[in-house]
Amino acid sequence: MSSGTITRAGTQAPEEQIVRYSFDERANHWINALSYSYCLFTGLALFTPFLYWLAAVLGGGATIRFWHPWVGLVYVASIFWMYSGWKSYMVPIPEDAQWRKSMKYYVTNRDDRVPPQGRFNAGQKLFWKVMFWCTFILVITGIVMWFPEKMPRGAHFLLPITVFIHSATALVTIAAFIIHVYMSVWMTPGSMKAMIDGSVSSRWARAHHRLWYEKVTGRKS
Amino acid sequence: MSNEILEVKAISGHRGGTPGRGVSRAYDVCKLVDTTTCIGCKACEVACLEWNGYDFRETTFDNTYQTMPETAWNFWNLIKFNEYSTDDGVQWLMRKDQCMHCEEPGCLEACPADGAIVQYTNGIVDFNQDNCIGCQYCVTGCPFNIPKFNAETKKVYKCTLCSDRVGAGLEPACIKACPTGCLHFGSKDDMQIEAEKRVVQLKANTSWKNAGVYDPEGVGGTHVIYVLGDARDPEKYGGLPANPTVPIFVRLWKGPLKWLGGVGMVLGVLGVFMHRVRYGAKRVEGEEHRS
Amino acid sequence: MTNGWIDIKNTDMMLIMGGNPAECHPCGFKWVVEARKVRNAKLIVVDPRFQRTASQADLFCQIRSGTDIAFLGGLIYYAIQNNRYNKEYLTNWTNAAFIVKKGFKLPEDGLFSGFDPAAMKYDVSTWNYEEGGNVTGTAAAAIAAGDGPGAAAALAVSVAAKNGAPAAPSLPPDAAYDLSLEHPRSVFQLLKRQYSRYTPEMVSSITGIPANELTKAWDLFTSVRKDGDMKKAATIIYAVGWTQHSFGTQIIRTAAMAQLLMGNVGRAGGGVNALRGHSNIQGATDLAGVFDILPGYLKVPLPTDNDYTTYVTRITPKPSKPKEWDSYNYWSNTPKFAVSFFKAMYGDNAKKENDWGFQYLPKIDRNYSWVNQWNDMYNGKVKGLLTFGMNGVMIGPDSQKNIDALKKADWLVVGEIYPDETSAFWQSPGITDDEKRQIQTEVYRLPCAGFAEKDGTFVNSARWLQWKWVAVPPPGEARVDQEILARIFLKVRELYQKEGGKFPDAILAASWAYTNQNNPSLVEVAKEINGKALADIKDEKQTPSEWKAGQQLPGFGWLRDDGTTSCGNWLYCGSWPDSGSNSQRRNTDDPSGLGIYPTWGWSWPANRRVMYNRASCDLNGKPWDPSRRQIWWNEATGKWAGNDVPDFKADSPPKDHMGPFIMNPEGVGRLFVPLAALADGPFPEHYEPIESPVANQLHPQQSTSPVVKKFTTPLDKYGDPKDFPYICTTYRLTEQYHYWTKNNPVNMQLVPEPFVEIPEELATQLQIKGGDRVKVSSIRSSYYCKAMVTKRIRKMSIAGKETFQVGIPIHWGYKGLPDGRPEEQRTPANLLSPTVIDPNAYTPEFKGFLVKIEKV
Repeated sequence: MSSGTITRAGTQAPEEQIVRYSFDERANHWINALSYSYCLFTGLALFTPFLYWLAAVLGGGATIRFWHPWVGLVYVASIFWMYSGWKSYMVPIPEDAQWRKSMKYYVTNRDDRVPPQGRFNAGQKLFWKVMFWCTFILVITGIVMWFPEKMPRGAHFLLPITVFIHSATALVTIAAFIIHVYMSVWMTPGSMKAMIDGSVSSRWARAHHRLWYEKVTGRKS
Repeated sequence: MSNEILEVKAISGHRGGTPGRGVSRAYDVCKLVDTTTCIGCKACEVACLEWNGYDFRETTFDNTYQTMPETAWNFWNLIKFNEYSTDDGVQWLMRKDQCMHCEEPGCLEACPADGAIVQYTNGIVDFNQDNCIGCQYCVTGCPFNIPKFNAETKKVYKCTLCSDRVGAGLEPACIKACPTGCLHFGSKDDMQIEAEKRVVQLKANTSWKNAGVYDPEGVGGTHVIYVLGDARDPEKYGGLPANPTVPIFVRLWKGPLKWLGGVGMVLGVLGVFMHRVRYGAKRVEGEEHRS
Repeated sequence: MTNGWIDIKNTDMMLIMGGNPAECHPCGFKWVVEARKVRNAKLIVVDPRFQRTASQADLFCQIRSGTDIAFLGGLIYYAIQNNRYNKEYLTNWTNAAFIVKKGFKLPEDGLFSGFDPAAMKYDVSTWNYEEGGNVTGTAAAAIAAGDGPGAAAALAVSVAAKNGAPAAPSLPPDAAYDLSLEHPRSVFQLLKRQYSRYTPEMVSSITGIPANELTKAWDLFTSVRKDGDMKKAATIIYAVGWTQHSFGTQIIRTAAMAQLLMGNVGRAGGGVNALRGHSNIQGATDLAGVFDILPGYLKVPLPTDNDYTTYVTRITPKPSKPKEWDSYNYWSNTPKFAVSFFKAMYGDNAKKENDWGFQYLPKIDRNYSWVNQWNDMYNGKVKGLLTFGMNGVMIGPDSQKNIDALKKADWLVVGEIYPDETSAFWQSPGITDDEKRQIQTEVYRLPCAGFAEKDGTFVNSARWLQWKWVAVPPPGEARVDQEILARIFLKVRELYQKEGGKFPDAILAASWAYTNQNNPSLVEVAKEINGKALADIKDEKQTPSEWKAGQQLPGFGWLRDDGTTSCGNWLYCGSWPDSGSNSQRRNTDDPSGLGIYPTWGWSWPANRRVMYNRASCDLNGKPWDPSRRQIWWNEATGKWAGNDVPDFKADSPPKDHMGPFIMNPEGVGRLFVPLAALADGPFPEHYEPIESPVANQLHPQQSTSPVVKKFTTPLDKYGDPKDFPYICTTYRLTEQYHYWTKNNPVNMQLVPEPFVEIPEELATQLQIKGGDRVKVSSIRSSYYCKAMVTKRIRKMSIAGKETFQVGIPIHWGYKGLPDGRPEEQRTPANLLSPTVIDPNAYTPEFKGFLVKIEKV
């Protein structure tokens, strides 16, 4: 089922390399990442006076206030794009439960005790789930916060609740985001390359996503 | 008010320390609105418009004498008209609605923009549009529905209690225009005394047996206080909240959540760093890695 | 106002009725607030609508428009029955004790004695006092003899008829009186009998105010005079809600009678107080804004006044009083005022030899009131019109008739600061292009200066003359009124000089002694009105005792009837004495604390702030309330002294029993108004408005006032309650001022659109919601606006019938902001009101006519 993605134009797969992300997926990911980051930093500027200097860095308070909701919409759009591409990979499989049981081995790098995983492991699926649902909450609350003057007087009491939920939800995504960035940039060598070039080595694929490796290569190991 | 200049620095013929040194003589300012003598003439509305230089704003007939449903970004002072049937006839309650200049201003608490909202020691809560970023968190924080957004300038505006006039030793424009003496201006202490006296009189000599002063504690008191003919139900006066507070969720957001979030983020970054230090990277055998 | 704005703060009780000062006089209303805050004074508001004044009231009664006499008549009867009057005041300071002529009949069937149905006029010969001195103690005998009002009514009429046109009856010099007030024909007994029919039940059925509310209101108001105690004072405050009826003058009379009965006139915090609707309407009235008076309320000559002597004898009253009493009869000075006025008008051309120029004055052969003139224009008799600061189309009744009248005029000159409906009458709603083409009227629109662009005085409701200075110069080509009028006058005079004409003398003889002929300075005009000595004059009784020729005079006490003084208006004499303008004074000292401010501006007459203030003291000259001392008798100096200027003969000792109401020949206040002072009766009687939903419950056969004439042009239609079931009243709002603030965006922002106030119950019946477009129609025309559905007007029960009234603010029309509204939203409110006028003051009936309402 995934053979089509491998041969997408723009994605080169040298020898012993397996295409992990198509160009569309990578583009999608980076649009998503950049828009999220923008919202993150501008949001943080509005969240606490300690980080209000971020507003200055990003063009001034009024500018970031103006762009935050618009970029937020870009982020929301890109996450739905992502959803349309990856929903089949995010379907739970029996191994997910085993993975979760042996998560402590994963965390402590004793990966030999971790069961084989598909294209995305159970942790990645969890990350996806968190981001997807948080985005859903953020966009609803965000739109309310965008136009508080349209809120009928009788429902004004909802405004502070909305702001609180928006901030709290954003904090949840930030926690997930820190782990995600850490793992991809620093903890799991090769994954950053995968998201940039699109390909991983067979070894890498076999080590981290064996079920997926077997599926796309047809090889049993 | 520039009464700080009256702070004592030194006194003559006195040995030792100077008594009263450093004690500020600046006093809190306060508007007193006696709703029982408001005749809804709207002179305050016009005075506010003219002093602040705002132009004509289109309005439409809305089955009421009230100029518009709510205050607007360029209409900060609105008399609310409310009709009620009572046992022996009709009540027509009029209340001048404007910023209440809370002692604990929810707008200021909610505002993220550096210096966009200023509370002066005399109690005036003022917006500085130069610093305003238009996020409208102040709208969220205000229990009185006062700050109003101008979609064109993307700034929020409200009554300044004529900080420009007050700073020059004048009374606010609305006070100056009031023909019946329903509006008073002075120190908070004086206005409270004035208001209490009026309430005693109302109870003793009029049918306003439930008169009272509106100076809500939930926001630490306000620098605009009302004498209400019927203080049991402030809501009757055009939706004056009975127990206004800075919304609890604004408090949670600006209090615990802000601190927990901040600490959490720092700990999170520190945590993953420590994880790397302790466990290293997930290396795949045979792979070469630049890092 | 008998008193003044600031004096309201001295009151203990206020009845505001036929006025809405919180909305129409918000700045003056501060004194109402002050009285309530400082003195705990009570406020009773009686009005067809619960308006902004009512929102302040201790007690509000919703009254059917046009039934005020019933309410006040009931109040009078309540006060009499419950001993809420002071006998000393009543007997000595009013004509309660006077005996009325035999043959006088009360209007128990709707008519007073002497009615001539063909002429729709009264023969007033029985409306007089009996001659004959003190009859105290004869009451029992008179009752036994069946001597009561109306006993000889038929006789009196027939006598008058037989004699043809008898000489005008006059007051007897020696009026009969009964100090016990018990004689059946004493004014007091007549008063009691007249209003004994105004029971709470009857008044309730007429006015729509529940009987228990009525007695509550009457009891509260009269409570200031509990058991005759004179310490407290009550005031009655009114405005055009009283005057704009076909019996408006009589409503005000009823209030004056209630105040006299209760001893509230002449006293601080008392009085009958008219709130004037313009900043200078009082000044306009004082300076003869009405056709039948000259400046200072001198009467205009009639065609029968063949010469000056006939004229001045007719208009100078002779005292009529109990022998033992004294009467100042101040109008006995009329010749001095008249001659001085002629000297101001005609200068050296007014000489003894030519009757002081009397023949130059116009003589009125018929009614030239505002409504009659427009009616004459409609009938093609009036060919041209000059109008300044007056939007005739809008302010008159039946706007369509006024618009059509202008279509028939040859020319129209409008001096205004904005293009108004009158100068744009040819753009009125519903007019077709064809019709426009047929209009031949030449219209001249002259840009005038606004009030802040010219100097001069305003005379406020409290009779204060206050000078104002120019704030900004008039814009563009706008000119001040006096320049426009002067240029027209000079041109007309030039034409008369060149061409002669039927009677050029009146114009050629007029004095025009201004430095700048084309643009007289208002300082010069004000000084001319005040008056000056034309020769050296002396009066040893006054200090200083001499004035040289050319000097300004300090007061009307100096005016002479020998041509040695000139004065444009005797009432204003003293406003600009030789020492300089008093109207420019701005001193805020108030030594008495009564709000008299004697050196702020100047108040006519003679800078008195409260008129008839002798009545603030008892017989011995001691103030009724020592805490509010206005004036008092000083035995040591033998003079009246006071915080205010005594409105009295300064050296008349209390033992002389001179009456405080010095402008009446009786010297006392009139509960009964004798002779022809009022056309419709010596006592007010409740009559229905010309358009009324019910017949008069007191006398259904005589429902409306018998002397009110309807107009007869094809446009003068009067509606039937079957087709037009709802009562309509008209009024102003705080946010707008008449018809010109609609040119100002801020005013339009505060109340943007025309509306009609409809009671909730009626709106439900008609299925009208707030904000719906509706059409309000009278038999004459329709008014388009939005519906304001309100709790503030309630359903009423009139004669047992469910009745509704609605109200329309008058401000909108077809000129002003915002432009571009559809034509049917630009209708003037007065399209609806009928052409019918009060027989005494000629004020139209803008309140209480009939309409229907439909959803558009």
